[in-house]
Amino acid sequence: MALFVAGLSHKNAPVALREQLAIDDDKLRELVRDIQGAGVLPEVVVLSTCNRVEVYGVAEAPGEARALAFRYLCRHRGIDLAGVEPLLYTHVDAEAVRHAFRVAASLDSMMVGEPQILGQVKDAFALAQACETVGPRLHTLFSQAFSVAKRVRTETEIARHAVSVSFAAVELAKKIFAGLARRAVLLVGAGKMSELAAKHLVEQGAFPVYVANRTWSRAQDLARALSGTAVPWDELETALGTVDIVVTSTGAPEPVVTREAVRRVMHGRRGRPLFFIDIAVPRDVEPGVDTLTDVYRYDIDDLKQVVGSNLRERAREAQRAEALIEREVGKFLARLGDVEVIPTIVSLRARLEEIRVGEVKRTLARLPEATPETRAAIEALSTAMVNKMLHAPITKLRESSRAGAGRSWLELVHELFALGRRS
Amino acid sequence: MHPGLINPAVVGYICAMGLALAYLVQRHELVHRLAVLSTLAGWAAHTVALIVRAVELGAPPFGSLPDAVSVAVWVIVLLEVLIEQRSGLRVLGAFVLPIAVVLILKATTARPATLAPALAGAWVWVHIALALIGIAAFVFNFVGAIMYLLQERQLKLKRPGAFYYRLPALETLDRLTFRTLALGFPFLTVGLLLGALWARTSWGTALTFDPLAFFSLVAWVIYAGTLAGRAAGGWHGRRAAYFAIVGFAALVVTLGAGLFMPGRHGF
Repeated sequence: MALFVAGLSHKNAPVALREQLAIDDDKLRELVRDIQGAGVLPEVVVLSTCNRVEVYGVAEAPGEARALAFRYLCRHRGIDLAGVEPLLYTHVDAEAVRHAFRVAASLDSMMVGEPQILGQVKDAFALAQACETVGPRLHTLFSQAFSVAKRVRTETEIARHAVSVSFAAVELAKKIFAGLARRAVLLVGAGKMSELAAKHLVEQGAFPVYVANRTWSRAQDLARALSGTAVPWDELETALGTVDIVVTSTGAPEPVVTREAVRRVMHGRRGRPLFFIDIAVPRDVEPGVDTLTDVYRYDIDDLKQVVGSNLRERAREAQRAEALIEREVGKFLARLGDVEVIPTIVSLRARLEEIRVGEVKRTLARLPEATPETRAAIEALSTAMVNKMLHAPITKLRESSRAGAGRSWLELVHELFALGRRS
Repeated sequence: MHPGLINPAVVGYICAMGLALAYLVQRHELVHRLAVLSTLAGWAAHTVALIVRAVELGAPPFGSLPDAVSVAVWVIVLLEVLIEQRSGLRVLGAFVLPIAVVLILKATTARPATLAPALAGAWVWVHIALALIGIAAFVFNFVGAIMYLLQERQLKLKRPGAFYYRLPALETLDRLTFRTLALGFPFLTVGLLLGALWARTSWGTALTFDPLAFFSLVAWVIYAGTLAGRAAGGWHGRRAAYFAIVGFAALVVTLGAGLFMPGRHGF
């Protein structure tokens, strides 16, 4: 029996095809039961997200199993298998394990490190479990994939740094202020992106929120939406003196916050830093404020540049994650190999022990005058012989299965020692 | 100091420094753990060496300047482990351990010193001990200032680099420099006062020229000014950081003067 994964993903299949293949949970339940019912795959899990459709399974012949699984899938979705077949990839054994680990750890994602995929894999696994299409092999594979994904998340910083402009702004704020709890935020102007940034800040504990807008009613509306307070437009400078973070996004053609105004308010701030997140184009905050001490100003281009650095940082971390996964794959295969050979080793021992006990009995029956010492010696001799003879084959079995070639050796041992059919 | 006893400590610190710097470059969990282990091993060996030294001398093991520097390093490493543990500031080792290594190498390679006959009496030991704790605190004051300036520069340049990701918030760093200043200053002050009192009782005057005493007074004035600026003038951030660096430079000159210039502290 081989472990395999077959499917297609954002890497090779266009979205038009992926969306045709995507399948809802009810249909998915039906599908996994159908695939298993066909008798070729004793174990099967189907993962269907907007970026990938994959079948994880255990089968004697992965190629045949793949064809079967996707025939069912295409029938369910009413599309032609011929259009899908050439795009399918198949990974078997070690490759399949590596693929499962990489997918769960979000290394194979379109946005490397995105957190949703792990939940999606967990859901797919739970659904298959509920449909009783998960056996011991897929169970070990997936539980290990989940723990590897968790290790990648905690031991590397693959998902740590923001890849969106609004989250990057929040991270920057955290590099200026020791925690965002009870930091006052001022929103100047109304825009979707500034509102989003303000929401992120509030989620991190920022409070209170002030809103200033040239149109008083809009300031009030937005203040209500963010549980904040509206500030009259002509009191903008006073507000600058009290808040910690300012998010600006007005449509004004000229800067609404001048260097001179900021210089004035900084006097009364007793060294508290002031952070401007300027999302407006044209910009709302005069770039000249950069030269003021304790003032930090990031416009939209600066934020995009930070996101770019974050992406590079993620890519570096992804390399570390790949190395970690490589080690985990090795460990997993070794364990899987052991699991595979243990029943055979147990029955091999039992078989030889049976022969030994029988022969010892027969020999001792023919030696009625044997002293207890002689009897003990015969027991010891026969045990030692059996152990010595078993040593080499058992070692060989373990080694070959760890190297991924255990199956043919297992068959051979079963044949040679007449151990009966393997399950 | 016994080479057989202090050398393992020096080796431990050097390994810890290498690992801490490696951790700064590539944040690997295991590297950090090894760095901490190596630091603790070095510190344990250092502790044993100091105890043996004390027993051998029948006195606290900081009666000569090289010995005193060694004790200062011992305090610095202890503080480093404690602060890192409490604040979660894992890159601290990469900044503090190089200083500790330089100091301990200076201390172990300085000419062998014997206790001056003039140096005896309980007050002298208190004078030295307080000054040492003050110096240890100022090492962290200096390191906090360096980290503040690095992070501040990254934020102003708007090009996040290695330090942006690795260093904590500006406020955290500014708080670290302030707290270490507030901690170190009283120790240094009382330490210097006791030194001056001692000088007057044993040499009749507190005001004869001694290089170490002179430069430590310079450092004290810088730190006093910074503390006053922080408390009354609202100094903080970059300006406070610059003063922390200048103050530490004065302390380094002080130690250098003590180790290499003739004077009453030269023993």
